[in-house]
Amino acid sequence: MTALLEIKNLHATVDGKEILKGIDLVIQPGEVHAIMGPNGSGKSTLSKVLSGHEGYEVTEGEILFRGKDLLALEPEDRAREGVFLGFQYPVEIPGVSNTYFLKAAVNAIRKYRGQPELDAMEFLKLIKERMKLVKMEDKLLSRPVNEGFSGGEKKRNEIFQMAVLEPTLAILDEIDSGLDIDALRIVSDGVNSLRSPERGFLLITHYQRLLEYIVPDRVHVLVRGKFVKSGGKELAQELERSGYALFEDAAA
Amino acid sequence: MQQVTAQQPASGYAQDFQARRKDRMVEPVWLIERRQAAMDAFAAKGFPTRKDEAWRNLDLTPVRGNHFEALHIAGSADQQVEAIKSVVPGAIRIVYVDGQFSEGSSDLQGLPAGVTVQPLLPALERHDALLEAHLARLSGEREHPFASLNTALFFDGVLIHAGRGAVLERPIVVAHVASAEATGRAVYPRTLIVAEEGAELRVAEFHLGGEGAYLSCPVTEIDVAANASVHHHKIQQEGADAYHFGVIAARLGRDARLRGHSHAFGAKSARTDLYVDLTEPGGEAALDGLYITAEGQYSDHHTYVRHLAEHCNSHQRFKGVLTAKSEAVFDGLVLVAKGAQKTDARQENRNLLLSKRALAHSNPRLEIHADDVKCSHGSSVGELDKDALIYLRSRGIGPQDAQGLLTYAFIGEVLEPITIEPLRQYVRAAALARLPGDATVKEMA
Repeated sequence: MTALLEIKNLHATVDGKEILKGIDLVIQPGEVHAIMGPNGSGKSTLSKVLSGHEGYEVTEGEILFRGKDLLALEPEDRAREGVFLGFQYPVEIPGVSNTYFLKAAVNAIRKYRGQPELDAMEFLKLIKERMKLVKMEDKLLSRPVNEGFSGGEKKRNEIFQMAVLEPTLAILDEIDSGLDIDALRIVSDGVNSLRSPERGFLLITHYQRLLEYIVPDRVHVLVRGKFVKSGGKELAQELERSGYALFEDAAA
Repeated sequence: MQQVTAQQPASGYAQDFQARRKDRMVEPVWLIERRQAAMDAFAAKGFPTRKDEAWRNLDLTPVRGNHFEALHIAGSADQQVEAIKSVVPGAIRIVYVDGQFSEGSSDLQGLPAGVTVQPLLPALERHDALLEAHLARLSGEREHPFASLNTALFFDGVLIHAGRGAVLERPIVVAHVASAEATGRAVYPRTLIVAEEGAELRVAEFHLGGEGAYLSCPVTEIDVAANASVHHHKIQQEGADAYHFGVIAARLGRDARLRGHSHAFGAKSARTDLYVDLTEPGGEAALDGLYITAEGQYSDHHTYVRHLAEHCNSHQRFKGVLTAKSEAVFDGLVLVAKGAQKTDARQENRNLLLSKRALAHSNPRLEIHADDVKCSHGSSVGELDKDALIYLRSRGIGPQDAQGLLTYAFIGEVLEPITIEPLRQYVRAAALARLPGDATVKEMA
């Protein structure tokens, strides 16, 4: 079986400085993986590389999505192939309503896959249904994308977009940062309801708390650009007790 | 057009003026005098140069170096005239081709009592007191070289008059079309809009043209009396090689409202100067502008808003999208006269550069001689937000569409206030046609 995501010996630099120093990761369909690490460990660099941001250079290694070279794909084609990236800081886009934005996205993806575009009614039906998953309020739909949204609303909007776009692999970058417990529950419930045997998740987080709500199959500890330990969900609890310091020593 | 020596750039236009001496003899004395004064004003200075502060960004060499002879015989521009007929269904329509009234293309049926829409020439023959009171009055005060040329040389024009309390629901479409015969020649479109006390008018003024290098120097004067309201839309879609240098001059009385929209899309080189005088308390002027430039285009707006009385508002909002190698200018002066207390004047100019080779000049200016006022101005020149682009692309939207979506969002603000819905659709489509992106973006409402 082809892995959903396969990262092999990934090295990446920002402004000539090496941040990722050889990462290996395999995610199979249906699995939820979590990458945890302290600030500056390379978590955001990894998510930026996966999303195709400019300014992040891969110097060695490769990333395969269902056997395809992900790095060779433009950011929009990664999405069209079925990769969703939840942003740590969702971008505000004044003047573009959430609905139009999503409709443009859904139809761009459908077009790429040779599916007919959704008409207004079909689209409305789809988003109404998916809104319930994340308890999105109607009024947020007509508002400009993320503009004036609270931190929790922005993260909820990310999960809502994911629910509408139905990716095969979802990479969620610090989807829990800055959320109070209620918002965290809603976001986690949203993610859990989308778990399926075909779909994989990669959670990138600083806090162990998220993993109480979204229980991962595998946990990887990232320190100074490398995985220093991988294990089952109990690794997250170990981290909670000992903190990153222990692992930082191990990496030094 | 004829080559002229740099020493006598204005002489050809003096000849045009001479050539029309006989035509003027039938005109009322006041007009003959105003035309003569305008010609004298132009002849004294000729065309401006880059040494003139207000003209320093504009390369007038092609205009200075050639004589664009006045054109008095209308050519044919059937295609464009036909197209304009359907833009605003149900509108009153008055069409001019090469400065000549085109009766067959116009629709002046069903005007309500108190509203006049007619060519200037017949009105002149009747020595209409109205014209003496208004024609070349607002523009005449300013020594604007191209307005002077128009006043000296305009052949015909349109008079729109709404009498006291007349409210016209139907929009009025004024179309000034330059035909292929205008190539190498000059046209002088003239529009006079007068709204008497309590009257309400909405006017859409189109400037259209075909291929070929011609010079269009339109002048529009707008007088808004007490408690009257005028919505004026200028849609400049001249041909790609045209030169368009125009003036809109407006005067607002007590509690009068003017909503001005200037949409500049066409011409190789275009400039519109907007003069707005708020002369009595309670006046309110909202000026929106949109310009989109393509390869080799130059687009310029100069605004002069004068607060001459207290309790007046003026809100200016000009947005530009520049593509390829092109250049745009916004220069806006807000003057608050002594005693014009409680003025609320806002001025905003935002430019979006979609190309590294595009150049935008933004120069908002305030001159305040009163102490109890609220004045603000903002100006920016920038590129599309890279984070927003990557965000849209990460959701499957292609780079062209992402750019188009963000650009459309940027200009949406100045399209929204257009109250004539079919016109809003038309301007929107015209703007979208000039922006990147495909159907996905263009179906956005």
